[in-house]
Amino acid sequence: MYGFEAMTFNIHGGYLEAIVRGHRSGLLTASDYNNLCQCETLDDIKMHLSATEYGPYLQNEPSPLHTITIVEKCTLKLVDEYRHMLTQATEPLSTFLEYCTYGHMIDNVVLIVTGTLHERDVQELLEKCHPLGMFDSIATLAVAQNMRELYRLVLVDTPLAPYFSECITSDDLDDMNIEIMRNTLYKAYLEDFYRFCQKLGGATSEIMSDLLSFEADRRAVNITINSIGTELTREDRRKLYSNFGLLYPYGHEELAVCEDLDQVRGVMEKYPPYQSIFAKLSYGESQLLDKAFYEEEVKRLCLAFEQQFHYAVFFAYIRLREQEIRNLMWISECVAQNQKSRVHDSVVFIF
Amino acid sequence: MEEQEEATGFEAAVRQAVGDEDVLRFMDSTDSYLTLLDSLSSTLRQGWLDLAIARQSMGASRINGALLDHKSHSAATSVQVDQEDVDSMEAQPRFTLRKWALVADGKQCYEEQKMGEDKFPGKTGSLQLRHRGDSQLSDEKTSESGAQLDVDDQIQKERAKLLSMFGTLISPKLRAAQLSFETALETFVEIANMRSAMLSSFDRVRNELDHQKDDTVPIPSADLVVYDVDSCATKGLFGLPIDA
Repeated sequence: MYGFEAMTFNIHGGYLEAIVRGHRSGLLTASDYNNLCQCETLDDIKMHLSATEYGPYLQNEPSPLHTITIVEKCTLKLVDEYRHMLTQATEPLSTFLEYCTYGHMIDNVVLIVTGTLHERDVQELLEKCHPLGMFDSIATLAVAQNMRELYRLVLVDTPLAPYFSECITSDDLDDMNIEIMRNTLYKAYLEDFYRFCQKLGGATSEIMSDLLSFEADRRAVNITINSIGTELTREDRRKLYSNFGLLYPYGHEELAVCEDLDQVRGVMEKYPPYQSIFAKLSYGESQLLDKAFYEEEVKRLCLAFEQQFHYAVFFAYIRLREQEIRNLMWISECVAQNQKSRVHDSVVFIF
Repeated sequence: MEEQEEATGFEAAVRQAVGDEDVLRFMDSTDSYLTLLDSLSSTLRQGWLDLAIARQSMGASRINGALLDHKSHSAATSVQVDQEDVDSMEAQPRFTLRKWALVADGKQCYEEQKMGEDKFPGKTGSLQLRHRGDSQLSDEKTSESGAQLDVDDQIQKERAKLLSMFGTLISPKLRAAQLSFETALETFVEIANMRSAMLSSFDRVRNELDHQKDDTVPIPSADLVVYDVDSCATKGLFGLPIDA
């Protein structure tokens, strides 16, 4: 039983909840995807998207189109919608909306630092950053030599500052340190977001707890699978798992010692919500695991819209748009590579 | 007179047999060349698809061209071109791929050391090892397979090091893409060698035809078919443009 959100939510959040529900109705449907999957060229895809809400963003793009151009322009639509909602939001919704973008901020920081380590031009790296994760002093990241400088010179004034306490060292930045920094930051961010949603209470807390727990569990599985055969030790792997979620703590203990996909399957099949995901995969198969996780996530995100008067709809909408952009990227790649027979391998229908 | 005619007929028969053999060699090499082109096409397609799947899984910000390393470093893989004499004919280029050069040098040093031990047993005492019994020989084999495993481990580490520009916790599909492109590189070198053999056998067939034109003994024209090698090789069969 929740509090009396129905009585007071619409005072500050009613307009934006209506806006986000309107945006949700603009998401591509299965018939849109079927049309897109039958396209022969990227210009055909542009023609089909011109009839959707992406039309104004793609209409001025010259031929020949590239996959990355389609992705960038579609992302601009999400960015415009997000910025409009952020400017209209009051506390605590504005803080909630900012939390939704910290993941991209972390990715951008790691991109700049890694690119600088590889002696790439900063301007070129900035063009590749996700627009939702930009902040004012991001270009200054290029001057840092280790994590302590990274924190002291740049990140101390950003929302990521509190997440750095666990990974500040004076070691020079290299590929392994950067990877551990990325995962440690993301872990700290997820835990902080989880605590913030718990403080909000009500339907927001209940729905966001479920969504963030799923995100933490999926992250744990991906870290496990991607670290098999690498130099990452079991203890280091265990430290990267978040301290919440369905798999915490016993599932994490078992995942930390897994050495192949079948052992991961054995661990995950003990948890009923993930049994159905792994039941779709044959033994030794990892390609469809990502798609199975995305399908489960989309199902949970769509369910968030079944209730009113909570903030989870904003998080769900942003994630559904990102899934849609991933779908468009995959379809464009398959068309560009003349691999149309594989187009349905990774497309996740939302409606 | 009859003996001369018999000798001329015999020479013609031998020459025809040799000509047929050259034609068969040319056709075999052309068949192998086309098969390799087909194999290369499917390997590259699989590699590009695996890369797209990895980008779908990890995100476009983690797999993009902006992360490629611009620091100067030596080539991990190189191609060596030698000239090979085949059947005392003119030299034919031979391409050899040297993958993971630093690791391969280590393996080569081990192999040269082993060959040195076999040649000069007195220096290292391996002759005594041979006479002592099977256990010593099995120790030799174990040490050889152990060294091979060390080299394989180093190759795996070199592979992981190259992929580390995209991060250390990467999707298995990215590793699969790397293997596909490695295989494609090997196939490229095989194609180059096969093309070289094909052109060489075509030259022999053409020379044979020129010789036969000078002879008085007629040769049935239906037995020899001349193929335009250059158009076969440069047309871009299976959608892949191959430069001469």
